[in-house]
Amino acid sequence: MKLLNPQQTEKLAFAVLWLAAALAVLPILAIIAVMVYRGGSGLSGSLLFRVEAGLLPAIVGTLLLVGLTALFAAPLGIAAAIYLREYARNGPLVRLIRLAVVNLAGVPSVVYGLFGLALFVTLLHFGRSLLAGACTLSLLVLPLIISTSEEALRQVPRGLREASLALGATKWQTVRRVVLPNALPGIITGLILSISRAAGETAPILFTAAFFSLTHPFPKSVFDPILVLPYQLFVMATEVPNVPSATKWATALVLVLVVLGLNLLAIILRTRLRGLQRW
Amino acid sequence: MVILLATDEAKNIIRPEGEIRLETIDLDMFYDDFQAVKQISIAIPSRRITALIGPSGCGKSSFLRCLNRMNDVIEGTRVQGKVLLDGEDIYSPDTDVVQLRRRVGMVFQTPNPFPMSIYDNIAYGPRLHGVRDRTQLDEIVEKSLRSAAIWDEVKDKLHQSATDLSGGQQQRLCIARVLAVEPEIVLMDEPCSALDPTATFRIEELMTELMENYTIIIVTHNMYQASRVSQYTGFFLMGELIEYDHTVRIFENPQDQRTDDYVRGRFG
Repeated sequence: MKLLNPQQTEKLAFAVLWLAAALAVLPILAIIAVMVYRGGSGLSGSLLFRVEAGLLPAIVGTLLLVGLTALFAAPLGIAAAIYLREYARNGPLVRLIRLAVVNLAGVPSVVYGLFGLALFVTLLHFGRSLLAGACTLSLLVLPLIISTSEEALRQVPRGLREASLALGATKWQTVRRVVLPNALPGIITGLILSISRAAGETAPILFTAAFFSLTHPFPKSVFDPILVLPYQLFVMATEVPNVPSATKWATALVLVLVVLGLNLLAIILRTRLRGLQRW
Repeated sequence: MVILLATDEAKNIIRPEGEIRLETIDLDMFYDDFQAVKQISIAIPSRRITALIGPSGCGKSSFLRCLNRMNDVIEGTRVQGKVLLDGEDIYSPDTDVVQLRRRVGMVFQTPNPFPMSIYDNIAYGPRLHGVRDRTQLDEIVEKSLRSAAIWDEVKDKLHQSATDLSGGQQQRLCIARVLAVEPEIVLMDEPCSALDPTATFRIEELMTELMENYTIIIVTHNMYQASRVSQYTGFFLMGELIEYDHTVRIFENPQDQRTDDYVRGRFG
């Protein structure tokens, strides 16, 4: 005898799957709700835009850091993906590169931080600076950018490449005129998602870029250290006494909003570019 | 007049009369260890339509892709023997593959317009090869679309997306795109297999028109199509060319029992 008939099984399956989906969304909503509840009152124009003991320097620092990271990592990552996907024949070297990319993506971020400290800060004499931090974060996001870009390139139908080659295009002409434009929405989405992840990282910049100062809020060159949101939050929460709890929560909220903003930008760009492509 | 190849009379492979600018000699093609094309020697008549028929997996598409070196793109493929275009082996090391593919164009099984405007699709090839002048491009676009019998349908929407066209229109657009680079030979790899009967009929009509100026080789699953459009037909089986003759002879009086079985629908 069967316990349930197919209709009942269907309902049960639906209920379980719905619950799983709901559970996945719940923590995100809860986190945002708690931050808005606890920090919403602390979030004022003066906190946001005040240079002294405000968040403006940290916001600017974060955006500078993230922008510079994108500037380093994007061309390198996309170029590497094009090489791996379009040019490389499947040999031992390519397998080694792929293996390295996969494994790099799994390295804990604090290891990147220490590596960045050793290489960029000490050996290359960048000092604790915007430049060293961006270099370190670039290493962190590079594997992500490579694999998302490769995936986007993989999605371009083979028929389009063949059509182009059969018309007498070289490989590079095909990549530049057909493959890249078609992969661009995917590449850009992956890029921004990788970068937004970098924006929230603390460990890699802890030793390489971040500092806490009330007297030198803005960097004058790439060789100056910077204030960044994750580190600001870390310091406020652990080292500075008497910071109102609403301010801490407000800082956390701003950090999350910056990351969410970047993600939103990724989604908008993707939709816009897809629309453009189809006319 | 039909002359049997002196070397291999038993194989029922003729050498077509008239001008011949493309032929293969003992052509083998491998995917890694698998041999897809075996010892094919065939002469292709100029300004005629030659059909290649045979069951799935018989090597006819693989053979076709040898003729413009499209198999180079696929990893693990290897070619032995010769493909002579105007007497020169296209697999010799000093062949300019880009130049070769301009001379030998290809239309694929599924219509594959670029996700660009109709105009840009046609202008893609000429632009690659350095045509920048707008009036010249306009002329090429119009001429190619006219030759592919699609001008009247698209002339008012040249700057709309090519992917919004119907399947049959897309395929004619792809043919126009090939014509825009002025090839001498057009290879067609089952160009109608994704199309409905009406669209198929239009393409077949078009092929007959194009025959005046182009040498066409078509791979097809559809025996009726081969008998309708082509003057010569080659029958492939398990990578070998079993029989090659006037289309009428292949369909009405084949010499090989296997050809006979296939065209009468006993297998395949």
